[in-house]
Amino acid sequence: MSNQTAIIIDDSSLARMMVRKIFATSMADWTLLEAANGDEALALMADKSVDLALVDFNMPGMNGIDLAERMMETAPSMSIHLVTANIQERMRIRAESMGLGFIKKPINAAKVAEIMKHIGH
Amino acid sequence: MEKVECRRVFKLSALEEDALKEFFNMGLGMAADSLSQMVDNEVLLSLPQLKIVSYEEATAHLVANQKEKLVAVRQNFIGELSGTALLIFPGAESLELVRTLLSDDMPLDILSELEQETLLDVGNVILNAFLASFTQMMSVEFDFEAAEFLKGSSEFLLNITSHLATQQRAIMGDSVADDERAVLLMMDFKTSDEEKKQHTLSGFVVLLFTRQAMAVLKKELETILGQW
Repeated sequence: MSNQTAIIIDDSSLARMMVRKIFATSMADWTLLEAANGDEALALMADKSVDLALVDFNMPGMNGIDLAERMMETAPSMSIHLVTANIQERMRIRAESMGLGFIKKPINAAKVAEIMKHIGH
Repeated sequence: MEKVECRRVFKLSALEEDALKEFFNMGLGMAADSLSQMVDNEVLLSLPQLKIVSYEEATAHLVANQKEKLVAVRQNFIGELSGTALLIFPGAESLELVRTLLSDDMPLDILSELEQETLLDVGNVILNAFLASFTQMMSVEFDFEAAEFLKGSSEFLLNITSHLATQQRAIMGDSVADDERAVLLMMDFKTSDEEKKQHTLSGFVVLLFTRQAMAVLKKELETILGQW
């Protein structure tokens, strides 16, 4: 039984629903946290240890890159993946240069499985 | 009464609105990727806005802060889902885009000559990328009509009755009803100006649906959301 925790941060309810279903179906041993923006995410993570973060880029308030920077300061070992519709090369390079994974929306079970392989789960 | 009618006809749940905005976001993400490759610059995107409005309200909304002449590429799509997508630039911005794509030192008169042809090509690529991505989770099929180049005052260009009438004629062979409502989705974009400030481009993408198309869209949304 895994004790691992993931968080999805996305202002889209649909995007969060999709991730919720994937985790419920294929990764039921994970705890999944959900936040609709960066501030909510930081508040949720303040007293929890999170292993994996799936972060949207285009959100009200803090964007996904700025949020990832903040999360890396507080939890450097966390695996963070930008899950975004903004698939421009410069965005991918920026994400990867920060050590973030880069996932093109829409997310699906195969893409989550790839992330899991990447983090050795 | 009008507003009540409008809401009744186009009633979307909060979740359906959210999903529609997310599809628009995915559509413009793909379109921005195409544009960024063409101009070799990053394209910054706003958050999607969705409004369900009358033609007049939509026009008023779109022309707010758009005093100058506008240039647009209009792409109608007809089929199981029909609608109109518009890629709109303030007039001077479209010439900057053409200059960026062709050559920095091209004389203005030559640029102006090539403006229509270039923007039609660019608009076609961008709007096709946008629509393919917007509908990627849907089961609808549609065909594209030939893209059209439009230039004029904002009132002329954003005469939504004209856009929807074109669609409607293609679908129904009839004119659009006076009380028809439009669903309007829009996002702003601009290119990053880190290196070439003089080439900063901005514009917006607008998606319009008639009431009939909205019913199809709502059904698609229900199906998609039902899966999750």
